[in-house]
Amino acid sequence: MKKMTGGISRRTFLAAAVAPLIVKAQTLGRGGATPPSERIILGGIGIGHRGRHDLQWMIAEKDVQFVAICDAWKQRRESVKQVVDRYYGNTNCAMYRDIREFLATRSDIDAVLITTGDRWHALASVMAMRAGKDVYSEKPSSMTIAEGQAVVQTAARFGRIYQTGTQRLSEANFVAANELLRLGRLGKVHTVRAHIAGGSAVTSREWAAGQPEPARDELDWDEWLGPCPWRPFNQRYVDGGWRGQYDFHTGSIGEWGAHTFAQCQVALGLGETSAVSYEPVAAASGDGMAVRFANGVQMVLQQGGWHGSCGVRYEGTEGWVACADGYSRPEVSSPALLADYTKLVQDYAARTGRALNHVRNFFDCVKSRQKTVANEMVMHRSMSTVHGANICMWLNRKLTLDPLKEEFVGDAEANRLCSRAMRAPWQI
Amino acid sequence: MLARDARAVADLKKSRKQKTESKKRKSETKRTIMNALQRVVLFAVMLAASTALAQSPEAKLLDVLKSNATRPEKADACRELGRVGTQAAVAPLAALLGDEQLADMARHGLENIPDPAAGAALRVALGQLKGKFLVGVIASLGVRRDAQAVEPLARLLGDADSGVAAAAAMALGKIGTGAAAAALKPALGKNSAAGEALLRCAEALPDQAVALYDAVRGAAGPAYLKTAATRGAILARGAAGLPLLLEQLGSADPAMFKVALGAGRELPGANVTQALAAEVGKFTPEKQGLVIQMLGDRHDVAAAPALLALAGQGAGEVRVAAIRALSQMGCTAAVPLLGGLAVSGEAEIAKAALSALAGFQGHDVDAAIVALLNRPDAKLRAVGVELVGRRRITGACAELLRLTADADTQVSAASFKVLGDIAGPSEITPLLAALQKTATPQAAEDALAAICARQAQATGAVVIQKAVYGDLPDGPSADVTAKVNELIRAGKQAFEVSNGSFGDPASGRVKRLQVDYSVEGRPRSAKADEGELLKLDATTAAPAVVVEPLLAAYAQAQGAPKLSILALLRTAGGAKALAVVREASGAGDAALRETALRALCDWPTAEVLPDLEKLARTSTDDKFKILALRGYLRLIPLRAATPAANAAVLKEAMGLCGRDEERRLALAALGNVPAPEALALAATYLDNASLKEEAGLAAVAIAESIAKSHPDQVGEVMKQLTKTSKNPAVLKRARKLAGLGRKNK
Repeated sequence: MKKMTGGISRRTFLAAAVAPLIVKAQTLGRGGATPPSERIILGGIGIGHRGRHDLQWMIAEKDVQFVAICDAWKQRRESVKQVVDRYYGNTNCAMYRDIREFLATRSDIDAVLITTGDRWHALASVMAMRAGKDVYSEKPSSMTIAEGQAVVQTAARFGRIYQTGTQRLSEANFVAANELLRLGRLGKVHTVRAHIAGGSAVTSREWAAGQPEPARDELDWDEWLGPCPWRPFNQRYVDGGWRGQYDFHTGSIGEWGAHTFAQCQVALGLGETSAVSYEPVAAASGDGMAVRFANGVQMVLQQGGWHGSCGVRYEGTEGWVACADGYSRPEVSSPALLADYTKLVQDYAARTGRALNHVRNFFDCVKSRQKTVANEMVMHRSMSTVHGANICMWLNRKLTLDPLKEEFVGDAEANRLCSRAMRAPWQI
Repeated sequence: MLARDARAVADLKKSRKQKTESKKRKSETKRTIMNALQRVVLFAVMLAASTALAQSPEAKLLDVLKSNATRPEKADACRELGRVGTQAAVAPLAALLGDEQLADMARHGLENIPDPAAGAALRVALGQLKGKFLVGVIASLGVRRDAQAVEPLARLLGDADSGVAAAAAMALGKIGTGAAAAALKPALGKNSAAGEALLRCAEALPDQAVALYDAVRGAAGPAYLKTAATRGAILARGAAGLPLLLEQLGSADPAMFKVALGAGRELPGANVTQALAAEVGKFTPEKQGLVIQMLGDRHDVAAAPALLALAGQGAGEVRVAAIRALSQMGCTAAVPLLGGLAVSGEAEIAKAALSALAGFQGHDVDAAIVALLNRPDAKLRAVGVELVGRRRITGACAELLRLTADADTQVSAASFKVLGDIAGPSEITPLLAALQKTATPQAAEDALAAICARQAQATGAVVIQKAVYGDLPDGPSADVTAKVNELIRAGKQAFEVSNGSFGDPASGRVKRLQVDYSVEGRPRSAKADEGELLKLDATTAAPAVVVEPLLAAYAQAQGAPKLSILALLRTAGGAKALAVVREASGAGDAALRETALRALCDWPTAEVLPDLEKLARTSTDDKFKILALRGYLRLIPLRAATPAANAAVLKEAMGLCGRDEERRLALAALGNVPAPEALALAATYLDNASLKEEAGLAAVAIAESIAKSHPDQVGEVMKQLTKTSKNPAVLKRARKLAGLGRKNK
């Protein structure tokens, strides 16, 4: 699951991910360049491996100050505190085990970074927004269509800013590909292709053998499970083995579709709707499934054929463009399409006013109250396409989704799979 | 469970079919058997139907709940009942709502069963449970928006268990009826969730929304609840919400200012836009920028007068924000001002204005931008030309052609450049005329070259001759010509090579797809391994609409323009163009001859191989000898010949190379020839100190293509290679191949 933030190369990114910890210690937290009144006070929820990347990008922003970490796992919250304290040169980063306590007591925090496992993304986002925080959450934004609806409704109800960590929406190569489509340079686009991961869309419901539960302060297993059905503790889940589990993960389609479906739908100008028709395929991963939008454009879920992760390809009557991580430039049917690559990207930035840096786009919007590039509606609608594809694979039959009602047409069973009860006391 | 269900249903259908057929057979062959026997048969059918009902997916799941199944099995059964359960599942699930191990999973089932009995069972449970079990049941009633639960839930709003009380409020908020709102109002300020619940009610009850939002605003509570209620109060009032919006916009409280920035984007109406625009001047520059940004997001030109004034003067950041906002709202009237700003001396402002014009939403503004091409100021004309290019306004080509003769050479050169980017075949003839008159001939030639190249990349009709998929070249394979033809007919020129598309003729092996095809009669081939994308190159030489004007102009032209057109013929390609270039390569005019020879050496297709071979062998000019040899080496692998024949030609060409630079090119070309002869030739250079790395790369590439058909030779050469190469990547590949050679012995 390779991810990057911002419109820079992987090498630069990796260098930047380490460098701030060493050289920027005096920039913030000691009365740095940004006046306190203009700083965004940031907290974190469930920051692990991926979250550390996000955190190091965020902490490097001059108008951001990270003050507290909430994590059910002591080892991780202490690790984050160590990183943050070393960066600021103090010992001020507070630690919390319980998300309810964290949100109830830290009214000073403006925004939170949520990088828990998938099972917690929507619930933590909803809880944080209810507590008046703006939210940057890792993908996927939801485990079900109902969760996505709750995120959208809560953001509107509380007037909060929300961004999902689908950072390719802010990277120059992907932006250029989207602009080629938007400007009509590909002609009439009939097909887009979205990279999906390997594995299976039909995820496992098996329980791993139980192990002795750690002390609550070491690892709060009940909090770790959160809204999901109870099952016995096993360290394998905590170490990343939650992937591939029905309760915790959105499977092969959601793993990368959470990125690539959003990329395709934004490029097509379909960020506020979802695919309407779904047809199952024999491949367990969903490879080759073609879903269609109301305007007739089909999106093909494609596992192979990329030489980088999270690839997308847009095909029109006059040409095509493809892009994935690691491409030095998008691949195109004709070099002429990229002749004004730099201007394409610059004009996008000028037209939208968006930074080509995903976390910066979030912080800018926290201040301006503009919608982010990966806002709650875009993410909910593209994730609804992911969920639609998953449900189609689970039921192994054709489905039609009414994107206005957000219901499958004439299929009560499919509609019943749009939500899951949450374990008490959690609710959205 | 889903797969098991599918199997169970299939078994059931099969069973029914068999029973029916059995019944038919019996009725046909034993018509004379007594009625008593018929009754026995009928009884058997009824018994089968009864058995089928008992084996329905729901019944099987309910059996699991009744059995001594494990906890995960029962949990999964509860979950599945949420998918397929009916009224029959309600009581068994409801019985588990107080179960320490399965209560939450029972709710998984009940929440999604649409039968009203599920709601009734949950309501009954309200009076029977406490603590987390009760909280769960309350939450499920909220999810089901069970209006009949309002009364019992209202009684729980003041429950001593704060978790229960808060859950009851949230559930009432989700139910969102007038009765729910009425029950919640007295709890405001007492129940921690009542405020949010009332916000939900306000969304569901437009008639009461203002009152409900105001009630929450006025009650004691956390700041975030007040800001949320204020946002709602502004929007619920509609046009009458303007004063409240303006009040928050002027608030000293940053949180309320943010509320205004958000609600200001949502509250509709031109009067709202004008009122907000009128406020802009009252703020500090920093706040002004945020308010202008908000106005831009309203996409309402009612803000244009205020924004035009701000774009024209004031602090730099405010002007930039105003410029961007004007672009966002697609204000056509702003084009002249922005055009002027784009050529102003202030770099940041000029950059912002140019970007804004380039990114203007919609095409209504294109005419205003094209009008810049007629402005007396050359700088404005140049801006207009750039914008026409960036916005790709193809309708402006006639204007651009006119400007190729502009007195200002920057405007003239820029016009050629943009024509090269956006013009089509119909602009070729006038551009050729301009080429012969212009003071910037190189710009004209570049523009024509760009157009010709673009047209040459146009796609032609693809005809599939043969497509084979399998363990190529000599393992099991299948003819998939029909399937590839089907894909081509479906409009695909790139498709994934997979068993899913082409079957599995060589199970367990990584297969390859080889496609021989033609484009406009010209033979081509393509191949890709399993898991890769195969792309068919459908590009053609430029059509007659491009070549004919070039030929006509060439015939008439003299001097430097004639040379330019000759060079352009190489870009256009095709038989007619080649004939003219060949003729010119023997011309008496030295300049014409040199241009033609360069075009021949750089020709893109293999038809010129005899010309280049002859040049490489006989030219007395070292420069052309080398250029021809390089072109020759480049084109050999494109010949429509067997790999063995291409290897022989490359071997001969190697003899023509007088320098290692060309020998390296020959070795690179050799790597694309999958033949044992090519491998043998590459191997002869493995000990050459200057060429061994190129030879190694070629050898390993060839070896990978022929390893299965020539394992011994491959093994031997790869062993040799492991001793000579210093390239780690090549060594890794060679060692792997050397192992393969030994294994196959």
